[in-house]
Amino acid sequence: MFSPAPDDRPDTVRADLADSLANTAVWRAGELGSASQQTCPTSYAALDSVLPGSGWPQGALIEILQPQAGLHEWGLVAPALAAAQKASPSRMTVLVGAPSLPFGPALGARLISMPHLLCVKTRPGAAPALLWATREALQCADVGAVLAWLPDARSAHLRRLQIAAHAHDKLLFVFRPMRAQSESSPAPLRLLLEGDSNPAADGKLRVHILKRRGPPLDMPVLLDTRHERLAALLAAQRERTRRQREEAGGFSYPLPSPRPAIPAESPVHALLDRLVQPHLH
Amino acid sequence: MRCWIALYSRICTEAAAPPAGAEGAAGAGAQAAALQQATCAIALGFTPRVTALDEAVLLDVTGSLRLFGGLAQLTAALLAQLAACFAAQQQVVQTLHAQGATSLVALGRLRFRRARPDAGRIRIAELPMDMLSAARPHLPVLERIGCRTWDDVLRLPRDGMARRFDAALLEALDRARGQAPDDYVWQVLPVHFEERLELDALVEQAPALMAGVERLLVRLHAWLLGRQSGLSALRLVWHLDPRREVPLTGQLEIRTAQPSQDLRHVARLVSEHLAQQQLPAPVHSLTLVSLVTEYLNDAAAATGSLLMQARRQGDGIVELVERLSARLGDEQVQAWQAVADHRPERMQRWVPARSAIAAIQSAVAAPGQGARRRRKKSAAAAGVAGVSDVPRAEALLPSWLLPEPLRLKTVGDSPVWQGRLVRVSGIQRVETSSWLMTGEAKGDADSARQDPAVMRDYYIFRSEQGALLWIYGERLRTAVMQSPRRDWYLHGVFA
Repeated sequence: MFSPAPDDRPDTVRADLADSLANTAVWRAGELGSASQQTCPTSYAALDSVLPGSGWPQGALIEILQPQAGLHEWGLVAPALAAAQKASPSRMTVLVGAPSLPFGPALGARLISMPHLLCVKTRPGAAPALLWATREALQCADVGAVLAWLPDARSAHLRRLQIAAHAHDKLLFVFRPMRAQSESSPAPLRLLLEGDSNPAADGKLRVHILKRRGPPLDMPVLLDTRHERLAALLAAQRERTRRQREEAGGFSYPLPSPRPAIPAESPVHALLDRLVQPHLH
Repeated sequence: MRCWIALYSRICTEAAAPPAGAEGAAGAGAQAAALQQATCAIALGFTPRVTALDEAVLLDVTGSLRLFGGLAQLTAALLAQLAACFAAQQQVVQTLHAQGATSLVALGRLRFRRARPDAGRIRIAELPMDMLSAARPHLPVLERIGCRTWDDVLRLPRDGMARRFDAALLEALDRARGQAPDDYVWQVLPVHFEERLELDALVEQAPALMAGVERLLVRLHAWLLGRQSGLSALRLVWHLDPRREVPLTGQLEIRTAQPSQDLRHVARLVSEHLAQQQLPAPVHSLTLVSLVTEYLNDAAAATGSLLMQARRQGDGIVELVERLSARLGDEQVQAWQAVADHRPERMQRWVPARSAIAAIQSAVAAPGQGARRRRKKSAAAAGVAGVSDVPRAEALLPSWLLPEPLRLKTVGDSPVWQGRLVRVSGIQRVETSSWLMTGEAKGDADSARQDPAVMRDYYIFRSEQGALLWIYGERLRTAVMQSPRRDWYLHGVFA
């Protein structure tokens, strides 16, 4: 009587099983991993929908590979950083080994609080010092997020950083070059950034998700990471070029000088005119 | 009624046998004296009326009872403080304490507890005669006339006692009974801490000095606890072997932004600095000097509180900045300052974070009010015209700025950088004309050279990697030299 016939109530049994699976912390390999940890929204819906927990995992190493450092980082990371800074306004953000100087006015437009930024550099070739500084920053109570550019880090080093980020519950982005793609990595989330030089792609950023807690993703996610004013400016410029071509009789010609004549009746005239004016204070 | 505590600390060595010879005995004596001094210093954190008498330390805690919440809590706090300090020194120290209404009663009880640890409590009248220091010269006579306890002596007629023994014995007994003033020369800690330590052996490697420094820091810690102060700056001097042709001493100064009693952070800073030192000759001794200390109001409360320690997980931002600066160099750890200027490379300034530590502290401490306070502070601290605290937000500027504009190669009249570039937007013109520069370059050729006139046309180019680059062409050169080609510079990236 304790063993019911196999064909007795299969549907209800399966439903029960599904229920109990849903209630317990069981992750099926075919589904996107649930948020076992706190996440921080990326502010890009397309990216949120493919990330486990729909956001950047807090307290975990997020590894971002890119062909060249210093080309696409801020657009991807800035909205989340700004939100994190706003959520805990007494926490600092530490940049370790940044490829060049973060420019305050532009980051201010992305709502990042510059007084809360600390920039740590080292002499070139001092990879251990970079790792040490990153770990020290992770262990600091007043630090909320760490961005580290570690071109020479190895897998064992990253594991230590992952442990430190987990222990101290910090948002940690590590930027590495493309050659690290073939190495194993302890990061639970690995991304690959690629810019698109094709004008038809509208300058979108291609984000390949190399590793996540969930099924592999074949297609890259396309993100428009530019600031809206910059995007508007570029769109206006494209529109203007297109009109010029039309007015020139349908055939295109190479621009003769870096400063072509601007048609006075152009709708973007006002915007461009403001830019042309010298910034005199 | 007054309340006294007598303390006695003793080092428990693993080998119970004392080191042989006069040198060993002298060493043990010096060690015991140092221990008594350290105990005095820590006790001074609890009451100003502390004295060292014979082998013990006597504290009059009558005035401190209310602050610390009663005798039991005060005693517990005192013993905990002693234990923590000695544990940091990695010494196993046994501390005995006793309490009494007068100093000599407390001392007598302490000695009785030392002599017979398992005897339990005893009445004052029954304390043996040898527990009183003043009675020690007369012990054989007292024994012979049958006086074994304090009570026995007090029963004898006073004038006979005064004739037979010296006045010191009677005076001591009067003190013990509270009939004579119980006054001592109280211990006072020096205003500045300065101690010298002879190293056990010559040290040739700077990091190996750390062992000696730690011993000195423990004494400094006791001194800080006694003065209820926090340390902001110290100087470490090492004395080099005089037989070498080198200067006799070398030194380093450590400064911290927050005064603290906990010297672990200071110890880490010292070891970071020592790791970068090269010793020209072996070192035979060390001197530690406190340069700046600050009185901490809540020192007594802060050290005992468990909540304070639970609140802080890990170090604060100040410790982080100081540690990073110590190892990497001040210039490598930078904080941001806004500057009111329209030239892109002058809109901001990255300054060493140690010099801007006040701004960082206020940014971390109180986000709402901090900004207002910081504005005053940073303007006063920087003392530079044009430091503005209201950052300009400009979306059409690049998020990375190259520290130095990078001169690009040109093909024809257009720049190339890692492949062909496509111009997607322009022009943004930035210039400084001469009337703008008069303020900065007034009769000063140097600053004029540093600060040349800027006439730039900024364009946005797209590279083959799909990055947007901020590139400018020099307009001044073309105008002056009438050359058809202009120079192109990469100045930033829209990342």
